[in-house]
Amino acid sequence: MSRKPIANARGPASGSTTSAALPGLSSDDMCPVCKTIRYLNKDMEFLIHPDCYHFMCSNCVNRIFNDGPNQCPYAGCHRTLRRKGFRTPFFGDLTVEREVDIRRRVAAVFNQHEEDFRTLRDYNNYLGMVEDLTFELVSGTDAQRSSAEAQLQQWEAEHKADIERNRKAGREADEASRRRIAAERDAARQRRIDAIKEAEEEKLERARTREAELDTLASAPEGQRPGGGVQLKRRVQVNRAVEAAAAATTNAAGVPGGGVAGAQPPMITKLSIQGLKEKRKPPAPEGPYDPFGGMDFVPSRYKLHDGLVHPDVDKYRFDLAHATGGYSFDDYRARAMFEAFAGLGVFIEDEKEVGSGLSASEVAAMSAGIAAVGDKMELD
Amino acid sequence: MTASPFAVDALRQASGAAPSSTGNGNISSSSSTQRPGPGSATLDLVEQMNEDEKKKYVKGKKLGEGTYANVYLGHARHDPSLLVAIKKIKVQKEYRDGMAPDAVRELTHLQELRHPNIISLLSAFSSKDQNLNLVLEFLPLGDLEMLIRDVDRVRYGAPDIKAWMGMLTRAVWFCHDNYVLHRDIKPNNLLIAADGEVKLADFGLARGFADPGQRMTANVITRWYRPPELLYGARHYSGAVDVWSVGTVFAELIIRTPYLPGDNDIEMVRLISRAIGTPTEDNWPGVTKLREYTIPIEVTPVADKATYMNRFGSVGPEGVDLLMRTLILDPRKRITAREMLEHKWWRTDPRPSRKEDLPRKSGGEEKVAADLKRRPGVVDEEGKAKVARKLDFGGALGGGK
Ligand SMILES: Nc1ncnc2c1ncn2[C@@H]1O[C@H](COP(=O)(O)OP(=O)(O)OP(=O)(O)O)[C@@H](O)[C@H]1O
Ligand SMILES: [Mg+2]
Ligand SMILES: [Zn+2]
Ligand SMILES: [Zn+2]
Repeated sequence: MSRKPIANARGPASGSTTSAALPGLSSDDMCPVCKTIRYLNKDMEFLIHPDCYHFMCSNCVNRIFNDGPNQCPYAGCHRTLRRKGFRTPFFGDLTVEREVDIRRRVAAVFNQHEEDFRTLRDYNNYLGMVEDLTFELVSGTDAQRSSAEAQLQQWEAEHKADIERNRKAGREADEASRRRIAAERDAARQRRIDAIKEAEEEKLERARTREAELDTLASAPEGQRPGGGVQLKRRVQVNRAVEAAAAATTNAAGVPGGGVAGAQPPMITKLSIQGLKEKRKPPAPEGPYDPFGGMDFVPSRYKLHDGLVHPDVDKYRFDLAHATGGYSFDDYRARAMFEAFAGLGVFIEDEKEVGSGLSASEVAAMSAGIAAVGDKMELD
Repeated sequence: MTASPFAVDALRQASGAAPSSTGNGNISSSSSTQRPGPGSATLDLVEQMNEDEKKKYVKGKKLGEGTYANVYLGHARHDPSLLVAIKKIKVQKEYRDGMAPDAVRELTHLQELRHPNIISLLSAFSSKDQNLNLVLEFLPLGDLEMLIRDVDRVRYGAPDIKAWMGMLTRAVWFCHDNYVLHRDIKPNNLLIAADGEVKLADFGLARGFADPGQRMTANVITRWYRPPELLYGARHYSGAVDVWSVGTVFAELIIRTPYLPGDNDIEMVRLISRAIGTPTEDNWPGVTKLREYTIPIEVTPVADKATYMNRFGSVGPEGVDLLMRTLILDPRKRITAREMLEHKWWRTDPRPSRKEDLPRKSGGEEKVAADLKRRPGVVDEEGKAKVARKLDFGGALGGGK
């Protein structure tokens, strides 16, 4: 096995002077030992040894160190290295890699907390001392390094008990935060499950009311059945809301032309509908800041002057649970109007009814609709 | 019915001029376009379209993991420079034969909401194992939580907070204006686009506004951002729940640490009580009748403006006024998202930062390397003594062995 020392090794790591310049990994993707270029062998992996931070490819490491400890192949580096000391560096810049290692080592020994000190000044002095020591270990001269090393070891010996205690506290804190994160994840999962249950209950509830509605229709005298067959309960409900709102809105202006899709029942002509959502032009770049981002639909869509008077809705109006939880009847009324007038034949809830059993084809169908944003399909 | 390549259009729109910034909200005035129904005549065609959608994207490395989904980087097959995020919903045993309902939730709501501050859904397809994949616009600059937490490297001020709050409030207003509750607003669900625009994401808990009498679950919104009515178990609520979350995010942006970090619901109520005020029949009629209401041990009066000014004064008196209104205990009295946008804070000085000028997150490896160049003993701008820098190499680097 020929082991020609490598001539181009730029500055040995913990060689004679300082750590100054260690070769970077990413600069040239070539193994300095065997000259293989990474480009030609994509799987090639570079390893370093934390004794000297000289990198070489994993093939070289295996070849040179498989049969036991051996000398580093870098010129001028006389370290004896072992196979199991090699690892993949975390950083491309090996100077950084080395500094991080040193800092990690120092931090494991100097692991005092702010609470361990009487004053902030004491703590800062301590941190300053640690930083000086670290600096010497990282970029000091040979002499500085070995004296810093001695200091580190002395401190470790003298404060063994403290260090161990802090280490343990750190582990416990880690453990506690791990538990907290796990608990948070469980809570998030539970929220998803509850939301699913919520949707399922609603579906059941809707099915029940629909059945009841059908029963009522079936038992109604022939002449009173609405034409066009079955109507869903929600539609019925919305129409009632509209009727109620229309009745309450006597002093409103006429309907502006256009904007409302579908045939309009005669009674709504008195509503003042501001039409569909309209956007304002976004303001000129240097104009005044527009909190609505140029998208306000001014004024709100409808002028509704009074509350709904339908008993189905009003019975909840005085329900404490609705009031205290912040449920908004204004929102409900606005939504009912919007759904009835904006040319929407489908309700959000009805769409969600596809619920738990959506097939691949339905997803495709939905995705096809994504671009046709806002173009709600008519289900009737 | 024609099978026009809708999704391609969507993609093109999203990559070019963002459709929503020039768009007209989610309600298009033409309602003529019909989506193919799941009728048998269209089934084959629809399956084919699913295949086509799937083929349009190439899935790449994993970006992140959430409660119910893995998110991958992806790109359009026809144009590798067109990046997307593909959110692949994890299979749930209970829903073997169909899509997970929360995924459908996210799909239906995102589909309806087109706005510059709401993440846009570009397409969706199902993969062979019946997994739902949502193709979302790729938002490469992390989330607001990363910016808030990176106290050492990310500096920001009142104009930046105002800009971020504007974007968040517009997103929430738009949801509510379209009768959608988000129910999971928090800094890490606010993702940041390449141009600095903040976008509300993660609609896995969203739902439409409920009808009167319809019960909703009270177990929504991540705890620190959960309003008192939900902590007290209310089942009939409104957009006010999201507004509270917006308020707590606002507070967190200012103080750069979670405002109400309770470990459990009891502690949450205690923290709210102490920081904001104890809910009583006086300030919130009916509150004592809510299902999970607990009698407080001590009663703290509702915090006054001076108290808020002490802690949040950096956004000015108008900003503090807005914050206080988002954190009103009684949801009926709480400000609405629309009213928030009508508040005078937006138009008082300083003007919100332009999105291009907003601070950005710093990279991982570069961050550590840059940290190494810094020396201890810094005194920060406000001049108050600060703990000297202590570099933590314990966990942050994935523990080099
Ligand atoms: N469009 C995107 N662009 C870039 N990264 C994204 C995108 N969407 C999601 N991510 C990343 O994936 C992670 C999980 O995504 P998301 O929050 O949507 O999933 P989730 O399952 O709903 O999570 P949660 O646990 O927050 O409920 C995010 O924290 C983020 O890091
Ligand atoms: Mg999330
Ligand atoms: Zn080699
Ligand atoms: Zn060596």
